[in-house]
Amino acid sequence: MASNDPGWGSRNNDGPPDLDEMLRQFSRKLNGLFGKGPSRNQPDGSGSSIAILPIIVLIALIWLATGFYIVDQGSRGVVLRFGKHVETTLPGPRWHIPFPVESRNIVVMEQVRTLEVGYRSAGEEGTSRGRELRESLMLTDDENIIDLQFAVQYNIKSPEDFLFYNRDVEAAVRGTAETAIREIVGKNKMDFVLYEGRTEIAALAKKLMQDILDRYKSGINIVNVNMQNAQPPEQVQAAFDDAVKAGQDLERQKNEGQAYANDIIPKARGAAARLLEEAAGYKVRVINEAQGDASRFNQVLSQYEKAPEVTRRRLFLDAQEQILSKVSKVVVDQKGGGGNLLYLPLDKLMATAEATPAQGTSTTNTPAQSAEDSNAQRSRESFRSRERESRP
Amino acid sequence: MRNIGAVLIGFIVALLLLSMSAFTVDQREYAMIFRLGEIVSVKRTPGLYFKMPLVENVRTFDKRILTLDWGEPDRFITSEKKNVLVDSFVKWRIADPAKFYVSVRGGDEAQAQARLAQTVNDGLRAEFGKRTIHEVVSGERDKIMEILRQKADKEARQMGIEVLDVRLKRVDLPEEVSESVYQRMEAERKRVANDLRSQGAGAAEKIRADADKQREVIIAEAYRDAQRIKGEGDGRASEIYASAYSRNPEFYAFYRSLDAYRNSFKSKSDVLVLQPDSEFFKYMRDAGGRK
Repeated sequence: MASNDPGWGSRNNDGPPDLDEMLRQFSRKLNGLFGKGPSRNQPDGSGSSIAILPIIVLIALIWLATGFYIVDQGSRGVVLRFGKHVETTLPGPRWHIPFPVESRNIVVMEQVRTLEVGYRSAGEEGTSRGRELRESLMLTDDENIIDLQFAVQYNIKSPEDFLFYNRDVEAAVRGTAETAIREIVGKNKMDFVLYEGRTEIAALAKKLMQDILDRYKSGINIVNVNMQNAQPPEQVQAAFDDAVKAGQDLERQKNEGQAYANDIIPKARGAAARLLEEAAGYKVRVINEAQGDASRFNQVLSQYEKAPEVTRRRLFLDAQEQILSKVSKVVVDQKGGGGNLLYLPLDKLMATAEATPAQGTSTTNTPAQSAEDSNAQRSRESFRSRERESRP
Repeated sequence: MRNIGAVLIGFIVALLLLSMSAFTVDQREYAMIFRLGEIVSVKRTPGLYFKMPLVENVRTFDKRILTLDWGEPDRFITSEKKNVLVDSFVKWRIADPAKFYVSVRGGDEAQAQARLAQTVNDGLRAEFGKRTIHEVVSGERDKIMEILRQKADKEARQMGIEVLDVRLKRVDLPEEVSESVYQRMEAERKRVANDLRSQGAGAAEKIRADADKQREVIIAEAYRDAQRIKGEGDGRASEIYASAYSRNPEFYAFYRSLDAYRNSFKSKSDVLVLQPDSEFFKYMRDAGGRK
């Protein structure tokens, strides 16, 4: 009779049987059933029945013993008397009036079962998953097709409803899961289902499934709806991946632009700072120079004012000396030559001067000597010969 | 011993009679009692019942909710003449066992389901024919299911059946139409991808241009400030020079000219052509300085 007792085979961890409770239950039930008097299998005292009596008693005891059962933790025992539900028992050792009066159903209640829609996980290893395209492909509101795989976890909230109101509850849960998810997906746009709305879809599907199952009085409690996978169908996967990649490209391009900005703006700030610092430096420099020049001039001026003539002459001669000591010189006395055409090969003079820049001092005397000569030609030759002599 | 034997026989006979007349009705079923083929009563509540042995017999019907599920989806045509594959299931249960037994020959569940399927299929065809795919898939799904339920329920009542729910499971496009949907989806994604990419290029360009602008502005502002600072310096310097030199402009001209000469003629490559009668040579010609 027990139709739903996967945990029935393992009677363990229930602690010591509560014997008192069991005996009380036992006698209460017997009294309830044959309330009027002593039980049937009580010996009536006749001596001749001695041989049969123990056998009857033994059979009766065995019969009574078949009424014991254990309800595991997380399960409930549902007891029917002549087919009518009389009680639901909690975990522990229990007794009911044996067949044919009462029967029991053990319902594993709290254990969470999993139902897979759109795929089947392959065995315990779960290495490869079989896909069920017929279950997983569905239409969205905007008439796109998506591939949705999800798992429904459920347990039983009412063992009585679970047993009494539906034939094949497991199939009902599967059917409900499919219809609910398709209804929800059918009401939403593809992008919502695939990306931002996944958890919301799962929550809506869970609620709708629970509503439907409650309407059927199935006694099922939906614990969770897990979206395993929500993706576009294989045929268009590449295009979708590309679109996702394009989204990342967008970010990348923005970042590259930002990187460029981050590169040049600080550099520009640096350049700006340099300009300002240079300007500040320039300002200080020109002011200081001005102050220096002014101070120098002032001091010379005050001395000049004391002896203008001498100072003026000294300054003049100093300057002449300095200049003439550095430059190449040609002294020409034109008055003596009268109308002669004077030929001065300046380019050659300069070429010579450049070839011997260090010889400046050695030629200082030249003008003085050549100044004596009134002939420009000679003067030039002498100048050149001096040059030649002084060459190392 | 004879006493005991008689008791035993009596007990066995009693048991036999009991087993022939007593029957239980389960929580999950109805029991119908026939007396020589005629329905006498229907037991709806579970418990222990008795009947007349041999003359009466009992038949049970499932009281639970049953599921009618098509294995294969059916093709329907929508108002825009498109094919859709539809898969649905029906939740039903026997509400009136007597009626059920009478109207469905022999109370056969399979036969009842076949008739129910027929009804629901007709309903689906009619409702789908009035609507577009979009309405069927999303907009009016609930409405269709409710209409179908009411319709199926009304017809099924005559068979003693209550229809609790008609639900659309799959509403899919046939393979050949799916292909074009995929193509459309692909094209749409490409559009999105291109859109995103050009958005990215645009955004990047904008950021770069903005950066360039900022750079120009920063440099220009710095240049402006730098020039102002330099100007301040120049101004201050001019002021200092002016205040110093204005004490004796004539001497300044002389002094500054000497400086300028000095700075102008400082290289060997500068050639001066001089006349010996210049001021400088005054004493070179004559110790007395006379001309």
